[in-house]
Amino acid sequence: MILQNLSIKRKLTLITMLTSSIALILSSVSFLIYDLVSFRNLLSQDLMTQAEIIGYNSAGAMEFKDEPAATATLSALTAKEDIVTAVLYKPDGKIFAHYFRGNAAFSGFLPIHLQKKGSRFEGGYLEVFQEVTLNGEHVGTLFLQSDMRQWSLRAKRYANILIIFVLVSGLFALFVSSKLQGLISKPILHLEDTMRMVSSNKNYAVRAVKTYSDEIGRLIDGFNTMLSEIQQRDTALQSTNGELKTRTQELEEEVFQRKQAQEELLKAKHTAEEANRAKSTFLANMSHELRTPLNAIIGYSEMLEEETRDTGKIENVQDLRKIQGAGKHLLSLINDVLDLSKIEAGKMALHLENFDVSQVIEEMVTTLKPAAAKNGNSIQVHLADSVNTMRADVTKVRQILFNLLSNACKFTDHGTVSVNVDQIKFENREWIQFQVRDTGIGISAKQKENLFQEFAQADASIARKYGGTGLGLAITHRFVQLMKGQIWVESEPGQGATFTVRLPAQVVFEATENVQSESAGKIPAGPSETKTGRETILVIDDDPSVRDLMSRFLSKLDFHVVAAANGEEGLRLARQVDPLLITLDVVMPECDGWTVLNKLKSDSKLAGIPVIMVTVVDNEAMGLDMGAANYLIKPVDRDRLAVLVEKHRVARTSITDTDLVPLSYVAEGPAGRKTVGARVPKTRRN
Amino acid sequence: MPKILLVEDNEMNRDMLSRRLQKKGYTVVTAQDGERGYSLARCEAPDLILMDISLPAMDGWEVTRLLKANASTRHIPIIALTAHAMVSDREKAIGIGCDDYDTKPVDFVRLSEKIESLLVEKKVS
Repeated sequence: MILQNLSIKRKLTLITMLTSSIALILSSVSFLIYDLVSFRNLLSQDLMTQAEIIGYNSAGAMEFKDEPAATATLSALTAKEDIVTAVLYKPDGKIFAHYFRGNAAFSGFLPIHLQKKGSRFEGGYLEVFQEVTLNGEHVGTLFLQSDMRQWSLRAKRYANILIIFVLVSGLFALFVSSKLQGLISKPILHLEDTMRMVSSNKNYAVRAVKTYSDEIGRLIDGFNTMLSEIQQRDTALQSTNGELKTRTQELEEEVFQRKQAQEELLKAKHTAEEANRAKSTFLANMSHELRTPLNAIIGYSEMLEEETRDTGKIENVQDLRKIQGAGKHLLSLINDVLDLSKIEAGKMALHLENFDVSQVIEEMVTTLKPAAAKNGNSIQVHLADSVNTMRADVTKVRQILFNLLSNACKFTDHGTVSVNVDQIKFENREWIQFQVRDTGIGISAKQKENLFQEFAQADASIARKYGGTGLGLAITHRFVQLMKGQIWVESEPGQGATFTVRLPAQVVFEATENVQSESAGKIPAGPSETKTGRETILVIDDDPSVRDLMSRFLSKLDFHVVAAANGEEGLRLARQVDPLLITLDVVMPECDGWTVLNKLKSDSKLAGIPVIMVTVVDNEAMGLDMGAANYLIKPVDRDRLAVLVEKHRVARTSITDTDLVPLSYVAEGPAGRKTVGARVPKTRRN
Repeated sequence: MPKILLVEDNEMNRDMLSRRLQKKGYTVVTAQDGERGYSLARCEAPDLILMDISLPAMDGWEVTRLLKANASTRHIPIIALTAHAMVSDREKAIGIGCDDYDTKPVDFVRLSEKIESLLVEKKVS
């Protein structure tokens, strides 16, 4: 409907108008009707009264048949405008006298049946009958007819008034209602405006103004509350957004900074690597520069010694030996500085061999006698009978003893330096224990803390008084660790000191990567523990340089390497460590490679271990016949060896590998071999 | 008598080592640099070469590489002598084609054994 879509203003005005108009019209019309009805009754009574008077006045004339008189009486009705017809009927119903308004011919109609007395409305006319009597005797009937002109006029006038009144009051109502509709429509329109503003501007701070406390007022309250809530959420959202933005910026900043830091670190790493390379080069050069003159010193003194011996001048031999000894000591010192840097780089290797402990002790004591004599010290040696040979890196054992003994001599004045060597059993293993005891100045508890640190002498004044680089005990400590031994000191200031070194009687070769982490405080792991996680390869070769090379190379491929110097040891270790594979040399003293291979393959526990022959002997057919998996000829092609050991490693994890055909490799080049083998041209080397 | 070529730039070492080798009965030819060592190796046809690695201009690695690449000198055993005690030197020496390796200052007894062993081997082949 059209009405429904009108604005609320219009609707309100319209409703007010309609309501008031209908009420007004209804009441006015009912009043009008009432008035007109009562006015007509009044007219009717008035006409009847008129009729009675005329009837009375004309009774005489009727009696006397005086028609003119009767007509004259009737003519008096001219004053009454609304009476249009007056007729006097004789008792027989015939017209006696009549009057028609304006003397016109009778325009209306005359009643057919006469009545005695009464009034009626007939055809828009009011008609009245009146009996004319004289002395109670009926002499005729009077008929009056009125056109109710007065009534019509009144009705017309009333209608006009009514229309004017309705119009005026309607206008007034329009005025009032249009004034008053604002009471309702204004707040609603205001609310609507506010809403539009909020939705178009997204401004949640706007509030609708509450004018009255009616339902609309409550609606506005509700709307405002809702807005407040939205605003709150909006603010919260905005602040969260702000925070998010800030955080994002911070993150970006952080990422940027990290990137920068990373770049700097990378740069620093490059610089450090560069520095490390420079250091290595420096060390190499320095060792070269120092070794070249030493070469001459030692060489010439050896030559002189030989010649002196030949010519029989024995008295000079001792002095020449001292030159040699000092030269060799100097050489070993140079080596130690290099060793320390190698330890630092995790590149220190052990060169294990069997040696006579007593011989080493004797050597060291002889070397240090002059140093002891300088401070008026005497050296006493107690070697237990049980001590015989041990397997270790003899150079490092020598260095350890040299360092401890020279320290003891240095820090003791006119006292005794004693060396005790014993073989003990500790934690089910055999150990050789060296104890160096002095009666010197001793070490305080605080000094003990840094005793085994590089360049950390107990006291700065010590360097001035006693000299030294402060490297001795650090290297000693590292060497002991490298051989899985222990070192400790017991001392009180002024009460002398006792250094104890405990080394395994049989040091087992270990890959050297662990050295650094061990020196950082980890407990040294035993051979069986270090095996876990990495596959073990057993290298059986009598040549130490081959063992060393193989160990290094295979360690780089992330294998745990155990080396044996002869066949017997090889078989023992094979049972002990259950290696992934064995590399086996053929030419070895006592028990040769063929014998070892035979024993391995006839032992049900060991037969499954693949054996790679690594030898100068070119007899591949024999090796493969006897059960070797592969046959390599020295010098070993590293790439080939790497491929082979990898294949065996893969084969152990997935037994299905059928690719393990025996491979052989022939190449030229005897390196450090002691026995002659067939020589093959270098053509197949790659 | 086996002929040994000693390539060594340090005069004292050259003198000392050559005299000791001569005393042992070897014929010794000496060269003080790489180029001279290379040409002597070709014209003197020694039975064995003692090659110092740290040489001026053309170093011992380079000379060894050239000699091992040449058919006429390939068969001559070379013992590398180096004062560098770095681990990589030993591997490098073997890798480049040296038949053996020793560090300076030389242990003369040990060096003699190595020379002897290589000479015997050469004779047999």
